[in-house]
Amino acid sequence: MSTDKNDNKIKILVIEDDPVITEFLCTGLRYEGYEVTPRTTGKAGLDALQQATFDLIILDVMLPDIDGFEVCQHIRNHASNIPILMLTVKKAISDRVRGLDSGADDYMTKPFSFDELLARIRALLRRSGRIHESKRLQAGAIVLDLQTREVTKDGKKINLTPTEFGLLELFMRHPHRVFTRETLLNRVLGYDYDGGTNIIDVHISHLRSKLGDRPPRLIRTIYAVGYAFYPEETST
Amino acid sequence: MRAWDKLSLRARLGLLYTVLLVFSVVLVGCYSYWNIWQLFISNKSSQLRARAKPIIEHWLIDNDLANSDNPHLKLNPQKAFILARDLTSRDTVAIVLNQKGDIIANGKRLPEEPEAPTPDKHYLRRALAGENEVTYRSQVNGKPVLVLLIPLRPQPASPRIFGVIQMSTLLTDIREILFHHGAMLVSLVAIILILGIGTGFWLIGASLKDLQVLLVSCDQISKGNLSQRVSVKNHRDEISRLAVSFNRMIEKLEATFASQQRFVANAAHELMTPLTGLRGSLEVLLRGAQDDPSAMARLSKGMYREVNRLIRLCEQLLGLSQLESSSNVNKQPIVLSEFFNEFKADAQVLAGGRSLTIQQGPCVKVSADPDLLKQILLNLLSNALRYSPSETPVVIGWKLVVGEVEIWVSDQGQGMDAETLSHAFEPFYQGKNTVVSGDKGIGLGLSLAKSMVEAQGGMIRIESEPGKGTTVSFTLPLK
Repeated sequence: MSTDKNDNKIKILVIEDDPVITEFLCTGLRYEGYEVTPRTTGKAGLDALQQATFDLIILDVMLPDIDGFEVCQHIRNHASNIPILMLTVKKAISDRVRGLDSGADDYMTKPFSFDELLARIRALLRRSGRIHESKRLQAGAIVLDLQTREVTKDGKKINLTPTEFGLLELFMRHPHRVFTRETLLNRVLGYDYDGGTNIIDVHISHLRSKLGDRPPRLIRTIYAVGYAFYPEETST
Repeated sequence: MRAWDKLSLRARLGLLYTVLLVFSVVLVGCYSYWNIWQLFISNKSSQLRARAKPIIEHWLIDNDLANSDNPHLKLNPQKAFILARDLTSRDTVAIVLNQKGDIIANGKRLPEEPEAPTPDKHYLRRALAGENEVTYRSQVNGKPVLVLLIPLRPQPASPRIFGVIQMSTLLTDIREILFHHGAMLVSLVAIILILGIGTGFWLIGASLKDLQVLLVSCDQISKGNLSQRVSVKNHRDEISRLAVSFNRMIEKLEATFASQQRFVANAAHELMTPLTGLRGSLEVLLRGAQDDPSAMARLSKGMYREVNRLIRLCEQLLGLSQLESSSNVNKQPIVLSEFFNEFKADAQVLAGGRSLTIQQGPCVKVSADPDLLKQILLNLLSNALRYSPSETPVVIGWKLVVGEVEIWVSDQGQGMDAETLSHAFEPFYQGKNTVVSGDKGIGLGLSLAKSMVEAQGGMIRIESEPGKGTTVSFTLPLK
């Protein structure tokens, strides 16, 4: 990790005492490009807040020392408007209300889906103005509109199936990143898709032909691994 | 008897009450009717006697019979007739009989005067024998008459009897009065019965109303509404007392149900945490972390830990549910020193490199289930190891107390505060203590240990001082 790159990254503080949950949160969030600082107690979390600034806090309600609600109130009392996402096992409405009343911005009950967690994190960051997610992704002549789900190349509309659209979106969001066929399958067709990875090759070849992708390709085959997306450098 | 069993309690009590009421009121009515009849008759007879007495005395003096000593005195029919005539009136007729019982004079002269009944031999003999107050009832032409026999004596106290006067009077007037009286009595009895039965049924209904309320409440409770309570005003009678104890019983049931629900909720809650870890780790792996061997290793280790935790939790839940039936407890005599020699190996595995001492106590035999005993000790030992620093020792030992053996597991860890101590045996309760070494527990260990000790007829207690350590001791019966 290069230090100058870290400055642009969104910083997330995870206050959670369960080591396994902390582990997957850190790993998963880092893969999504966030910088994660894990803390296992409320006190340690508050200390971390004093030392550094964060863009978002993921806070567990059941902490060994201070109650999550109290931590939340403590943060809010110091006039910080940092987005707080609370995690808890309790499903009772009173607990939700209490969580939101104590100053949390959102609330998720365990066991939660990691995809949903990411979606909520993005929503919280957007709302607080920490990221400006554009509604369009652009790579060279290719423009992908996330709202209308339309793809154009040089202004001409290209008709893509939902799977092809999902693949292109994933590639355009993570340029240069190498995805294995397995990962592409899971990300685009869902975790419970029960088929061979060859289907990904079929979808990629369709996508390539629709995009008019000729060597040197935008979507390159990485031998024995998978695929990666290399957008055309429009300038420079 | 079957029809009687089919009746409701209210109908049965009402019927019983009605029968008793009818019986007693009819009895009282009959007695009073008879009593009045007797009163009338005795009144009438004394009235007649009172009237006859001066007339007879006068007649005796007039006929010089009062001082006559002649034992063979014969009644003159003319003289006797005068007497009979004097004694006869509109409703009364007198006849005079001689010593042999033959009629010598009959007072009836006028047609409106009543007939005299034929003298009854039996009563006549009694009167001739000297009985003064012979009174009986007879009939003349189907009409009731009262008959009085008065022996004739020269002097009132004289033993000599020279004749008998039979006076008879019609009882039709008395009968009429009594008929009216009887009719009144019957209507009174009817009114009393109607009112009595009515109020009786009403009273029975009113006192059984609470029972009805109780019944309705029971019905609702049986449909699952445990928050229902029976409300009864009076707190003295049996039904109210029943309602009160019924309420108490329902309260206990409700508390048991609530604790059961809490337990299930807690168990589900405990399952959720490892499941969250598992699901999240799997998702992260599937999203692409599987391509990174180091992430893969870290996440799989965590998942392995979570799966183990789930298995442990399920085992303990299963253990708790099995202990509910005592048939799963296989008690047998155990020599404690032998048992601990075997146990030491298992304990040492659990303790790892930590210092673990088993203090041999007196040589005794206890009655216990060896598997349960082992589980209890492993539970207590893992708690002791978890909440004490790794450099401090854990000690297990036993000693004799009155009639029992007390086994203890003692650590020198952080101890518990009073609040944690008071909840220590509650399922899923975890104090604010931080785990010093190893995994976080589930919160079932102590409550499971308690159930296991109690299933073997022992008691468990916990002593702790913050900062100094904790000792858990339990008793087992001696063999």
